[in-house]
Amino acid sequence: MPEVKLVNITKRYGKIVANDDISFTIKDGEYVSIIGPSGCGKTTMIKNIAGIIQPDSGEIYIDGNPVTDLPIEDRGIGYVFQNIALFPHMTVWDNITYGPRVKGFTPEEIRALALEMLEMIKVDARSDAFPDELSGGTQQKTAVARALMSRAELLLLDEPLGALDVKVRAELRFELRRLVKDLKLTALHVTHDQEEAMSISDRVLVMKRGRIVEAGVPITLYSQPKNIFTANFVGEANFLTGVITQVSDEGSLIDVGDGLQLMTKSIDKRIGNRVVIAFRPEFASIGDGKKVNRISGKVKDALYSGSIMRLKVQLANGDLIIVKKALNFEKPKSIIGKKTSVTISPDNIIVYDQPENLNKELALE
Amino acid sequence: MVQRSRNFAFLPKLVVLVAIAAFFFFVLLPTFYLISYVFLRWGEVQLEVFANPIIGDENWGQILKVLFFSFRLSLSTVAFDLVFGVLLAYVLARKRFPGKSLLEDLVTLPLVIPTSGFGFATLITWTTVGGIGGLLGLNSGLMPLNAIVPIINVPFVLFIVHISLTLPYVVRTLETKFQSIDTTFEIASRTLGASTVTTFRNILLPLAVPGVFSGAVLAFARSLGETGATMIVSGVSSTASIAIVRWASEFKLATASFMGSLLVVIAWVIILPVELYFNRRGGSFKISYQLPPSLSNKIIKMEKFASKSLPRIKDFLPLFIIATTIIVPIVMVLNSVMLYWSADPYTGKAQGGVVYQLFGPSNYFNSILQATSTSIIVALVATYVATCIAIPLAFIIERRRYGGFIRTLLKVPLIIPSSSLGLSVLLLWGPSCFDLINSGIWLIILTHIVFSVPVIVESIIAAYEGSNIQMYEDSARTLGATAYNAIETISLPLIKGGILTGFVLSFTRSLGETGATFIVMGRDMTVPALVVNMVEALAIPAALFTSTYLIFLSMALLAVIRILTRR
Amino acid sequence: MIKLVNVTKKFGAITALDHINLSIDDGEYLCILGQTGAGKTTLLRTIAGLLKPDEGEIYVDGELVNDLPPEQRNAVYMFQQFALFPHMDVWQNVSFSPVIKDWDEDRIKNLTFEILEMVKLAERRDAFPNELSGGMQQRVALARGIASGARILLLDEPLGALDARLRVELRTQLRKLVKDQRLTAVHVTHDQEEALMIADRVVVLRRGKIEQIGTPNEVYLRPQSIFVLSFVGGANFLEGNVVRVSDSGSLIEMQSGLHILVSDRSRSIGERVVVAVRLEEVSVGIEVVNSTNSFSGVVETAMFIGGSMEYGVRLENDVLLFSRILLSDAVRAYKPGERVVVSFNPENCYVFAYPVIGLLKEIEAI
Repeated sequence: MPEVKLVNITKRYGKIVANDDISFTIKDGEYVSIIGPSGCGKTTMIKNIAGIIQPDSGEIYIDGNPVTDLPIEDRGIGYVFQNIALFPHMTVWDNITYGPRVKGFTPEEIRALALEMLEMIKVDARSDAFPDELSGGTQQKTAVARALMSRAELLLLDEPLGALDVKVRAELRFELRRLVKDLKLTALHVTHDQEEAMSISDRVLVMKRGRIVEAGVPITLYSQPKNIFTANFVGEANFLTGVITQVSDEGSLIDVGDGLQLMTKSIDKRIGNRVVIAFRPEFASIGDGKKVNRISGKVKDALYSGSIMRLKVQLANGDLIIVKKALNFEKPKSIIGKKTSVTISPDNIIVYDQPENLNKELALE
Repeated sequence: MVQRSRNFAFLPKLVVLVAIAAFFFFVLLPTFYLISYVFLRWGEVQLEVFANPIIGDENWGQILKVLFFSFRLSLSTVAFDLVFGVLLAYVLARKRFPGKSLLEDLVTLPLVIPTSGFGFATLITWTTVGGIGGLLGLNSGLMPLNAIVPIINVPFVLFIVHISLTLPYVVRTLETKFQSIDTTFEIASRTLGASTVTTFRNILLPLAVPGVFSGAVLAFARSLGETGATMIVSGVSSTASIAIVRWASEFKLATASFMGSLLVVIAWVIILPVELYFNRRGGSFKISYQLPPSLSNKIIKMEKFASKSLPRIKDFLPLFIIATTIIVPIVMVLNSVMLYWSADPYTGKAQGGVVYQLFGPSNYFNSILQATSTSIIVALVATYVATCIAIPLAFIIERRRYGGFIRTLLKVPLIIPSSSLGLSVLLLWGPSCFDLINSGIWLIILTHIVFSVPVIVESIIAAYEGSNIQMYEDSARTLGATAYNAIETISLPLIKGGILTGFVLSFTRSLGETGATFIVMGRDMTVPALVVNMVEALAIPAALFTSTYLIFLSMALLAVIRILTRR
Repeated sequence: MIKLVNVTKKFGAITALDHINLSIDDGEYLCILGQTGAGKTTLLRTIAGLLKPDEGEIYVDGELVNDLPPEQRNAVYMFQQFALFPHMDVWQNVSFSPVIKDWDEDRIKNLTFEILEMVKLAERRDAFPNELSGGMQQRVALARGIASGARILLLDEPLGALDARLRVELRTQLRKLVKDQRLTAVHVTHDQEEALMIADRVVVLRRGKIEQIGTPNEVYLRPQSIFVLSFVGGANFLEGNVVRVSDSGSLIEMQSGLHILVSDRSRSIGERVVVAVRLEEVSVGIEVVNSTNSFSGVVETAMFIGGSMEYGVRLENDVLLFSRILLSDAVRAYKPGERVVVSFNPENCYVFAYPVIGLLKEIEAI
């Protein structure tokens, strides 16, 4: 269960700085995910830790030992690849036992370990099958088994589910967490799928353009993101620009245009500050509710996806917001065009200083 | 939905037909004719070879003798090639270092270098005072002409020449194969704890086995068929391909064609099974056998040690080989030219100098100019026609089910000894059969087309397979482009690099081809053939000059490819 | 209008398409949903003319097109990897089709400019594909398809190459573009959320056969098979035997004696059945509110997924039941180890006959 520590890691590719002076620590036994848009540097980061590439500067410590000069094979890691990388010329059994074999385990040890692992991972394939005979999900499970076989205590996963169908992904990700926790490993999981990361990690790191933007526990990142990019990246959000008109001990009042005012719990800004307020679609409720923060609007569009309904509502000030609502087997009624009121609790509104270029800050790629 | 394309729907089919017809006529027919010639004139062959009224089956005895010698030479060449070629291919495929493209070009050089000139340069380097011997301060060459390599019993210089000329086949085939294997497998192996050497043995090599066989087989065939350089350095020994040249010039056509056919059949018998086997299984060698653990552990430990402490050596060794076999001869021959420029450095006689031989009574300079124009015309015409045939052929190979078969057939001109090739073209188009063309420039052009088509096709295929062309074409088709339109606007531009590379490679090769040209040239002379003549006339300085001139021309052209493909 | 009649396509021993019958209306946004290997791409390529069916006919606007080459079918195929021509810039890519169809030069210029404006990429007209981000490339690919004047867009996992968040953002824009242009779209995907959100109708494909066709609501609320129910939206599956049928519904007995009441009355007594309940219909609480279908158990897992909490509750009979609730609707959070009561409404239960090949095989997720 090693601790992994990065200190001032920088890696450049020509003019692009893939990792920009990154420092962070993964605790013993933690399951940490790194998320971010394509090109943010998350893959570079995990490859640095594995030793597949060398950082231009900085140090990496695994279990307190500096590993920056150690070759890949001496770092004691297990690595799972996006394109699975099972050796095509070896059977499932030979693939799995490859690690222990090249590390010199005895045949008896190897056999016992392999049987135990196959049982644990529930790979329902014949051990004499070749990779091209297996389904994507089974292949990846086998690859995970292979990575864990040499008793590595640090598991690095590079978009491990990227090549699989959505449904298979949803099932396999919990298997990953279960395995890591059962074996008491430390895991670092890189993915562009924020839902995947948030559902199985102890902590999530958000990266953008080579830097760590924010790190935290999934629920906190979702409900109270400190950074506006995080707010947009970890889930759908509505953003409205406005100005602070009143500040008190209980919160601030924000004018979002055309006389529309919203009460928030933010207390650290000053009157006149230009701000951006954010709230999740599911925290806006339709219809009569509390009196605080009730705004009128008109439903412009309604999209259904199974049990969730998304309404596009145009507010009095012209802004368009999305309201998300569970249907609970309601038959979707036609409400497009109808006037309605939207309520958002001040507890669920987050306030940020307005950045120079809002769209650029929020950009997902 | 109106399209003007309906009118041209037949065009693709026409092009396919023409391409296949051209392929058959120009490329395949000569070889088939050669073999059938032997069967048709079996009576003649029998008389001359086996039951000769004067010498009995002496000719057959000679055939066997040269065949065995050739086998010995070629097998040992390939063995050497494999050991060092694998290393070199690995370095080229997996490592990045300054000067890498230069190294790649050097490896490619022997493919296009004029074989006679190169043979001559190697001869100079090892056996005369103008070469290494002189550098070391000796009074003569480093070794005598007939120095023998122990155990295998082949002449040293001959051995070196064959290695230099065949190494590229192994290296390029393996390099391409290594590059086609995703590095992720090797990285996975290392994350599992295997050192780089263990990874190479367990992962990369097994996955590249088809490439090893392919390369070895190509190298073997090339060595078997090598004529141009061998003519110059073989001294008293005779390989099978030189024997063909000698017999052809003595008008012992039956014997020559019998030998030629034999060589073709042998080359086929070796290559065909290998190609078919690997084409069907489509790739890797599935392993089910494991070494016993105790042995395996010992090997792994050694490999771990090797990975850490010997990387420098394994990088340098191949470089050293390349240096000795390629760079040094070129440098030496240049050196010699300068030495011999105005006069023989030992006797002081002007007649022994380059200038005298070129501009004096023998007026070799004129011959060189004439030969150059012949060479260039031949190269241009042959390469142009070959490209026109190669482009549709490449598409056919990629898209039709029988494409794999055609691709295997295309290897025929590559593996056939160049002398056999020349002979077969001569027999087919000359007095013995069609009687359309006599020895001379047109026959040379026809011969060059034969071996140019495969080179260009392979180059195009490499570019084709490297760039998801089918997807772009499908896209264009649904956007309204006819099949022909799509190829014209999408596929051809995307493989432009491959076509260009193939063209220049083939052009350069054509400039330097000796063996086949020698048989069909009649009185029109190309530059490489001129070198052979000069050597036989003992006009050594002139030969030196011409060889150098040729070699540098080839190198310049290779540099042109480099620039063109960088775009 | 596209019509497929008994379209069959085999690749050696594998039947990729098995007697497909399908009609697509003009202007419809149709999603073909299925796992990898279900035959979705084969179906699309057959419609496009890039593959010829072994059996069956394809009609476009009443005309039999089986022998019509792709360039004459008025249907543009868009690849997952976009397939932007690498040797052409954005402008040349977008204007490719009009140019190749030899339209009037001015018309080409105006059209290309208009479309580039529409996808907001007019200032990048000189850029080459490898200089653009994934989302931009997708827009160029769309623009190129629209510029061709084709009435039918065949989209092969159009959002598959993009990041997860981007996919969610762009899918509605994709639908809007198609609808604004009044095109017919056939959109292939393995993401059921995507299909449900933007399709007019969904075709669920499984092993070359159509499992169900319907509007997203129909497919979601009235799945015709266990597979569709599991693939589209997912559910809890409980096995049991019917012990009583009455006016109010049926009583199903699970192993170890727990009983479920369902409003469905179509099964006979003694029949072995599968009862399915959507995760969103299972509520979690501390006390028993209504004795119908309330079971006590222990929270085994509590996962935070995309704005919802998903609980796995282990019942007394060892069955694991999952519940999903939007964070905003959750009264409180539950921790693993807590004793809770799960319940669901009899009207929200689906009942199916127990599948012959076994339940797991029928669902067959991995």
